[in-house]
Amino acid sequence: MNKTLNRRDFIKTTSATTIGVATVASGITLTTFASTNKVPVTNEKRWGMLIDTNKLTEAGIDGMVSACQEEQGWGSELHSTGSQKPGWIKKLKVKDKATGKVSNLALMCQHCEEPPCVDVCPTNASMKREDGIVLVDKHLCIGCRYCMMACPYDARSFVHEALRNQKEHMPRGKGTVESCTMCVHKVDKGEVPACVASVNSDAVIFGDLYDASSKINQTLRTVQSAQIRADLNLNTGVRYSGI
Amino acid sequence: MNRLLIVFLTLLVSSVFAHTNLGEQASSIKASGKVFHESISIIRKIHPEFLRHKRDKTLRQGVRTDEYSLKGCVSCHVNKDKTNNQYYSVDKKGQFCSDCHEQVSVSLDCFSCHRTIPKEGSL
Amino acid sequence: MSNIRFEQIEGKSLGFYALVAGLGGLVLAALGSAYYMEHHGHFVTGMSNRIVWGMPHVFALFLIVTASGALNVASISSVFNKKLYKPLSRLSGLVALSLLASGLMVLVLDLGHPDRLIVVMTEYNFKSIFAWNIILYNGFFVVVAVYLWLLFERRMNKFSRKAGLVAFGWRLILTTGTGSIFGFLVAKQAYDAVIMAPMFIIMSFAFGLAFFILILISSCQWTNRPLGDAVVNRLSNLLGVFVAAVMYFVTVYHLGNLYLAENTGVENFILFDGGIYTKLFWYGQIILGGFIPMALIYHPATKGNRSMLGLASVLIIIGGLIQLYVIIIGGQAYPMELFPGKEILEGYGGVAQYSASLPEIFLGIGGVALAIIAVTFLVKFLAFLPESLADNVVQNK
Repeated sequence: MNKTLNRRDFIKTTSATTIGVATVASGITLTTFASTNKVPVTNEKRWGMLIDTNKLTEAGIDGMVSACQEEQGWGSELHSTGSQKPGWIKKLKVKDKATGKVSNLALMCQHCEEPPCVDVCPTNASMKREDGIVLVDKHLCIGCRYCMMACPYDARSFVHEALRNQKEHMPRGKGTVESCTMCVHKVDKGEVPACVASVNSDAVIFGDLYDASSKINQTLRTVQSAQIRADLNLNTGVRYSGI
Repeated sequence: MNRLLIVFLTLLVSSVFAHTNLGEQASSIKASGKVFHESISIIRKIHPEFLRHKRDKTLRQGVRTDEYSLKGCVSCHVNKDKTNNQYYSVDKKGQFCSDCHEQVSVSLDCFSCHRTIPKEGSL
Repeated sequence: MSNIRFEQIEGKSLGFYALVAGLGGLVLAALGSAYYMEHHGHFVTGMSNRIVWGMPHVFALFLIVTASGALNVASISSVFNKKLYKPLSRLSGLVALSLLASGLMVLVLDLGHPDRLIVVMTEYNFKSIFAWNIILYNGFFVVVAVYLWLLFERRMNKFSRKAGLVAFGWRLILTTGTGSIFGFLVAKQAYDAVIMAPMFIIMSFAFGLAFFILILISSCQWTNRPLGDAVVNRLSNLLGVFVAAVMYFVTVYHLGNLYLAENTGVENFILFDGGIYTKLFWYGQIILGGFIPMALIYHPATKGNRSMLGLASVLIIIGGLIQLYVIIIGGQAYPMELFPGKEILEGYGGVAQYSASLPEIFLGIGGVALAIIAVTFLVKFLAFLPESLADNVVQNK
């Protein structure tokens, strides 16, 4: 009896399977979700955000934080202590040492062009999409937390406990690192991030930094804006004016 | 030798699938005679590859189609507890995913992160 | 040189079994702790989103650094051709391998997903120092294993010097990699210093030798093998030099940081007003792990006293753990400078609190126990230990 599967047989079986796969693939359609992006995103766009700390009120920032929690489903962890709970976006009160001016701002993942978290990740779990959104691929994340050591913005959180009942569009789980996704699931459908939507003024502008006709591009041309820790040359996607 | 092994595995796998708990929507599709998965044996054997391929395209490239979406699997193969109108998690013992995975002793890592029931508000 | 004979230990005494049982208990406690942490999630530990690396990392990095240092004795014999160290080469390689394996065990068991270890082997990001370290660690096992084989196999002995050279080079790169885990972190003021890499190398020299001396003295004593003063005094002198070198690097590191205005905050924190970290730095790292061992090694009253050398080695190890605690935990506890020239009133900042939980400590100690248990077992099955290190044996070749 033929003891080994020879090469020809192997090729035959695999190609049969491949054809089968192709057939099935075309056969599957399910309830249609409102959508959607069918082609890979490209680097012709770069998503960014401009936060005007002069226009944004404290209540506005609180609204952004709760909109984020509501949208992404973080913040209701049962066991984690205060400093163990995730904080995808937080409210910061900053005082200038010389002038004494106090500004309030929302701090989240800055979606760097040169993200240190992506550089240090041993497994490529920390990644940047072509359109500049920095994400954690939780399928590959081993939970080493090196990216958290490397992030200059304290933007990342580690999930310290088992979770259930996550949002359908936002898988999150114990032992992986997470952070602001710039609501990539909404952006891919042509919507704006939840925090931006929660602010009813132009205090927070979201858009394509490269697109000369976009509001964010035009505003950035006219107002003075800053990047946090600009000295690190990370070229952040989130910009601030008024600080 | 290998052929014997394949025969054995096929028998084993089919015996597992023989009493699978399909899930509500999937059962009704099957009962109506409609074809959803063109080849049951292929989807059984290589659904992990489909899902993996899909996950990389969605997460890394932003391609968000319905094809092989895990949400789709869950919403179709989930069961509901008739007494309190609540969904059972698909990875709960005896439910669609865990039913087979437990019998063949293959751990599945999807649901430490992914939602195990359809999204809120959908019935 | 050929008259050095190696022999396994008998390993049948009550003491041997008691040692193995005791260490085994600690290893089991570590495994239990790891299971507990993984099962519940890291909320049961003292670690948080501010202190992301805790006690397990202190022990893991200590063990990894010590591992490369423990190979030094072998390196000195092969690279610098010092015949006195030749009989110690085998043990040196064994201790190095055991320490590295234990360090990696601790590191892996603390991961959020140790079950995904396979991903570490299949997905490499070549920009990541961590990924490079994984290659360096694996390579270290191979290089040292080959080196040991060349030492054991009489026909191959002649190649052992070359292999020793490779191993020495490899361990230097490895410790550079370990130090660079911190050295390349721009985000945190306490790190981001190139001197981290050479400092880690010199730390490895000191910790590794201290660990090796303890293993050597105790195994010779417990198996009634002669251990002459020639070997012990030479190792003792070397240890003193290494400890002094560590203190030199620590001084340069802190002086350099003090000079940079952007780093004065974190320097003041560690050196003067950091509470527990300041105390640990001065009393633990500098006095307990530096001055006292140096005094024990060089002071005429204690010089040449073997128990005092053992005590000095223990203190160096404790001081080393404290040093890594100050670097790893202290460096994270001090807040990052998010807005230079501005003060953060709310939302971020302040010194992060950390107190290690019992499972974390058990995991770390279990790592040390694993290293010792591995050495204990392997000297029973393979001839790592020389029959005699008496002065007339090691000197008349």
